[in-house]
Amino acid sequence: MRAQFVASEIWIGLRRNLTMTVAVIVTAAVSLTLFGLSLMVRNQVNAMKDFWTGKVEVSIYLKGDVTEAQRDQLRDELVAMPEVERVVFESKEEAYERFKEQFRDTPEIVENTSADVLPESFRVKLRDPKKFEVVASAFAERPGVDNVVNQRELLRDFFAVLNAFRTGMLFFATISLLAAVVLIGITVRVAAFSRRRETGIMRLVGASNLYIQLPFLLEGVLAGVLGGIVASALCAAAQTFIVNATLRERLKFTPWIGWDQFWGLVPVLLFTGILLAGIASFATLRKYLRV
Amino acid sequence: MIRLDHVTKVYPTAAKPALNDVTVDVDKGEFVFLVGSSGSGKSTFLRLLLKEESPTSGSVLVAGKDLARLSHWKVPTLRRQIGCVFQDFRLLPTKTVRENVAFALEVIGKPKHTIDKVVPEVLDLVGLGGKDERRPDELSGGEQQRVAIARAFVNRPMILIADEPTGNLDPETSTGIMRLLDRINRTGTTVVMATHDAAIVDSMRRRVVELEAGKVVRDQARGVYGYSK
Repeated sequence: MRAQFVASEIWIGLRRNLTMTVAVIVTAAVSLTLFGLSLMVRNQVNAMKDFWTGKVEVSIYLKGDVTEAQRDQLRDELVAMPEVERVVFESKEEAYERFKEQFRDTPEIVENTSADVLPESFRVKLRDPKKFEVVASAFAERPGVDNVVNQRELLRDFFAVLNAFRTGMLFFATISLLAAVVLIGITVRVAAFSRRRETGIMRLVGASNLYIQLPFLLEGVLAGVLGGIVASALCAAAQTFIVNATLRERLKFTPWIGWDQFWGLVPVLLFTGILLAGIASFATLRKYLRV
Repeated sequence: MIRLDHVTKVYPTAAKPALNDVTVDVDKGEFVFLVGSSGSGKSTFLRLLLKEESPTSGSVLVAGKDLARLSHWKVPTLRRQIGCVFQDFRLLPTKTVRENVAFALEVIGKPKHTIDKVVPEVLDLVGLGGKDERRPDELSGGEQQRVAIARAFVNRPMILIADEPTGNLDPETSTGIMRLLDRINRTGTTVVMATHDAAIVDSMRRRVVELEAGKVVRDQARGVYGYSK
């Protein structure tokens, strides 16, 4: 196998088909970018889930007129429940401290709120967060209890939105990846057709299948790799300008994906680019360049 | 060197067989003319030798190998032992004479120093020395066919197949091409040539195999084109 000869054949092929090659690279880049973005959203959802699942608690808010006896009774019963891992009592003052921390960017709200208006509560951490109903039904109607809130319920809607977003992107990414496969297949077919004289002679003088097909295959794969590189660059731009410069700065209550996850993404994009170009080229060549 | 044993070839869409129970034996170093009208089965005969087609029944042996048992990834190895020349030359118009001949070696992975050595040799042999850097459209028909023969012969095949190599050439040029094929034959290469050219067959006085509607109707050691002409 003479590398120089194969390389020059690829170069001739790419140049002859320049517009088609550019179209392939753009299509591959766009579909891989969508794919990459949907993977970034998935990473983000996972990061948030990990972060929040460790934190979600059931909050049992107490009425303002709850007596000390009622409170102690509730605490003892909570601690005795097998489903409960840990119980923390939050006084009005502690609630106020947390409130101030949460709203430190908007001092007007803090100034207009006093510790009195905030309810006392038990923060209950469950061994299994799904057992919320057991706790809720046991305590909701008890004297001194105002209401029982499952933070998990609040997060569920949030995650449902993110998941729908991710699924939608994955759906469009899949469609455009399929389009890219078809387009690469057509390009390789056009390349094979425009060089049928050469390939005809190659077959005649006994060139092996590999030798005949390799330039076309590599042409497709090269386009796939270039598409993957462009897609990586666009995803890096999304990471820099959307995640790092905007979201991380503005929304501090939750962790955001960083460069670690991004560098994990790059090989996936390049590999997917190679794979889809390889599949498209190989399938086309099997059909159109038989010995 | 070549043996067709009761070979019948029926194309899927055709009613009549292209070859019908053909048995032909060609020894090493022979020069055989394959004659017959269009559609008599000459091209099918040649395609079977290259394993571009497989026979419907019967067996084809080339260089001692049964082509039916030759796995398809070994077909290129078979074709490296057979040189091919056609009526329409089949040269690459964007490449020079030298590059056209070198192409045949490049694509089978021959090293550059070998190519640089044997290409000028074979161009001298076919009488094109000094025209290495011309392009096919700057050459006459006869010269183009010489390039094609050089390309077919550069890898020193055991068999040379020529499908109407003089079909596009005038009689004088044809004689030159035949002299060249004769010279190649004298190096020990088996030559199988399909042709319509009665004058050439008559003047060469070599073995003639005549096909008619897919059957061998004549196989003569030192034959002429035909009686019926």
